[in-house]
Amino acid sequence: MSDDSREMFRQLAVYSHVGMSFVFSIVIGFGIGWYLDTKVFDGRTAPYLTFIFLAFGIAAGFKNLWDIIRDISKKE
Amino acid sequence: MEHPILFISLILDQMGLPVPHTPVGSNMLERLCEPYMTYTWLVMAFLIIVPKLTMGKLEVIPGSGQNFWEVMIGGLMNFFKENLGEDGAKMLFPMMATFFLYIILSNMIGLIPGFMSPTSNLNITLAMTIMVWVTHHVLGFRYHGIKYYKHFMGPIPIMAPFMFVLEVISNFARLLSLSMRLFGNIFAKETLLSVLFMLAGAYFAPLPILCLGVLVSLIQAVVFVLLAVLYCAQAMDHAH
Repeated sequence: MSDDSREMFRQLAVYSHVGMSFVFSIVIGFGIGWYLDTKVFDGRTAPYLTFIFLAFGIAAGFKNLWDIIRDISKKE
Repeated sequence: MEHPILFISLILDQMGLPVPHTPVGSNMLERLCEPYMTYTWLVMAFLIIVPKLTMGKLEVIPGSGQNFWEVMIGGLMNFFKENLGEDGAKMLFPMMATFFLYIILSNMIGLIPGFMSPTSNLNITLAMTIMVWVTHHVLGFRYHGIKYYKHFMGPIPIMAPFMFVLEVISNFARLLSLSMRLFGNIFAKETLLSVLFMLAGAYFAPLPILCLGVLVSLIQAVVFVLLAVLYCAQAMDHAH
């Protein structure tokens, strides 16, 4: 592989990861909150923990994005 | 939907072994006879036997078989050295190169009628992803000792508990997205191919998808290994 195509594959891997990790962060955040609400606390805290962890998930997604963008700008 | 014809399952059926017709077998033997397990063993056997046959004795002036493997291994090694450095590449080479060869072969094998891709099953991809995930955290602890936890805490002390939750969530997202991407792509390819074969196999309808399948197989194998390498490199790196 030449240097160009190698760099292309690297970027392909990193960028194709962006969307999925964003979505899965949100889903996992929501999942943790939902699990805590319904299984651990038997619905006594519903729906607050779900929303709190959903917010955490969204924040984690943005943090992922932030890290990736910082990596890119560091390289340039 | 009609089941694709899988020749190993047919052979096992003839031998009187129980091949499950449901997604998950009910007992141990049925689970061992599931198509994705038997085809994994086929790929493993292929990867063990074929290099032995093609390389033979190592020679100073390589023949065509040895040449192929030298180019393959040399290219992979260079690629790892770029991302992991000399020592890291030597340490992780057996694992990552095995992942690459295994994934690319098991992606490609599904393009042949009568075979299926083991990677089109979530069990296989998730198992590989868990290995990568555990490895990169173990490496982090090995390289930084207990201070590895600082990777999870972010730069500002007062925000640390908040950042910890975010990091844990995004770490699990890594686990899920890495396995789901490989599984999703290969499963889509397999399903599309079998549907097209069933609908219009006589008119070469699956041909464009077969061409795309080669591309997808290659790209997904490269992407999986590349991300695994990047995670390991990140864990071995200093805390930002």
